[in-house]
Amino acid sequence: MSENKQDGDGGRIRPTVVVHKVSMRYHVPSTEAHQAVPGGGVGGLARKLLGRTPLVPVDALKTLSLVAQHGESIGIVGRNGSGKSTLMRLISGQSNPTRGAVYASSIPVMLGVNAALVPELSGDHNIILGCLAMGLTRAEIDDKFESIVDLSGLEKAIHLPMRSYSSGMSSRLRFAIAASVDPEILLIDEALNTGDAQFRERSKERMNELRAKAGSVFLVSHSLGTIKEMCTRTLWLDQGDLVMDGDPALVTAAYLEYTRQLTKGNFDTAATLREEARSTLVVTEVETQGSGRRKA
Amino acid sequence: MANGAQDGQATPGPAGVEVVPVSTAGLLRIGARPGLLEYLKQIWSHRGFIVYDARARVSSGNRRDRLGSAWMILNPILNGLTFYLIFGLLLNTSRGIENFIGYLIIGVFLFQISARAITNGARSVQANKAVIQAFNFPRATLPISVNVREILASVPVLITMLILILIFPPAEDITWRWLLILPALFLQAVFNLGVGLILARMISRINDITHLLSFALRVWMYASAVFFSYERFIEHETLLTIVKLNPLFNVLDIVRDCVLYATLPSWESWAILAAWAFGMLIIGIVFFWKAEESYVRE
Repeated sequence: MSENKQDGDGGRIRPTVVVHKVSMRYHVPSTEAHQAVPGGGVGGLARKLLGRTPLVPVDALKTLSLVAQHGESIGIVGRNGSGKSTLMRLISGQSNPTRGAVYASSIPVMLGVNAALVPELSGDHNIILGCLAMGLTRAEIDDKFESIVDLSGLEKAIHLPMRSYSSGMSSRLRFAIAASVDPEILLIDEALNTGDAQFRERSKERMNELRAKAGSVFLVSHSLGTIKEMCTRTLWLDQGDLVMDGDPALVTAAYLEYTRQLTKGNFDTAATLREEARSTLVVTEVETQGSGRRKA
Repeated sequence: MANGAQDGQATPGPAGVEVVPVSTAGLLRIGARPGLLEYLKQIWSHRGFIVYDARARVSSGNRRDRLGSAWMILNPILNGLTFYLIFGLLLNTSRGIENFIGYLIIGVFLFQISARAITNGARSVQANKAVIQAFNFPRATLPISVNVREILASVPVLITMLILILIFPPAEDITWRWLLILPALFLQAVFNLGVGLILARMISRINDITHLLSFALRVWMYASAVFFSYERFIEHETLLTIVKLNPLFNVLDIVRDCVLYATLPSWESWAILAAWAFGMLIIGIVFFWKAEESYVRE
């Protein structure tokens, strides 16, 4: 895509999402006993006395830059723990990066998060609350309310407190609320979708509608078919590294071959494949000009 | 370009680096903290969210208890009874206090309102992680909505308080001064919000503070002349002046003057209380806003 990046606006492009030198490092408690965990001395002793497990740093995403343009549908593939969901959370603003910054032309909306909102409140109260939090007015919410309840497929259960919902039910509600606005930048994390077959059908319809209207789409999916069918560009992430960035057919083919070798146990062949793929990667370096408008 | 050295640890370096000049003008930084004025505007535009959240949670607050919302009123009554038995009858702190029962009822009921508002406000950010991560909105709306909820929930509590004062002898007359308790309670609520905002940020960082909070509140209760009067125990002039700067003491003093003693509260009490309330609110909003970007982190 490098050739079409330079056109328009006197050599500069009009991006929808700019990921600028972003990296993400989590500190998580580890129960691994014999490990070179930093902090023997006082810190280690204090931890032992307080009965806390030591924290180890995990690099979920290594330094990454990325520019998405209007009209692009970007698929993200990778194994579990490759940083796909982390990248999505960073773009949607659900986490802040350890380093770097994400810029966007409007607030991205993420579909498919499995989260209970306010467990004590009923489903219908959560719908109104969620919509108000997204900045909709009461009149707009009244218009959309029925369609949200329909999409969630919860029927009578909508009046029950959310803590009584199964995880599938709450993720359906969460999806229905998020899908009620027409975002310019749409993030879809299919890996988190837990709905049953009937809901999957319904949510797919709504997603296609939204995708048609959205300016940019980011799609995480374990189905390579979906990625090839829906995306114009695909990223392959592995252990926090960007391995490939390019045509969906090429990237999914390389990724598929890589996972096949891993399943067969040919780790060396797999590693070579990964190295080969990465050696053709052209890393994007973003040169920011002008200060970003500051807004939430 | 100058890059490339950055990913030195990744086995083979990438084939090349492409520099993409991007103008971030017109783009917004995701999760960035807006300016203070813009932030206040955003809070105002989310007032529908604040009010809805507050009202929805008033009704669901005590749903797990069999007696439901009755606990809002039973709680201070039982508390008041305990204090009456221990301090009024056993330790006799009531000596020298005119209408001790009324004095005690006002102290216990109003202290409970502040204690609840501050505790819940302080926990509001930590308790709503799911909502914070799901949606993009000014986070200060959470402590604000908790405080609005506490104000709504305190209406029946206050009515009960006044009824109890009328029931128990000596009978008090209802005068126009009773209206003065409204501005006093308003200032109390503003103060609660300010403290809640400060604590909400601290607790979002260091959860351990929740454990200290209940102790701090207990100390504050004992220091606020809830069931005794300062004059009986403190003889030192300067110390007395200092303890009388306590904002809650001034709320209690104003309300007791208006309701029990049919006197006009002194302007000093109003001034001290107003200074605390608006001072805390301003500090609270600025302090909370400063960390706006950090609340999504787990």
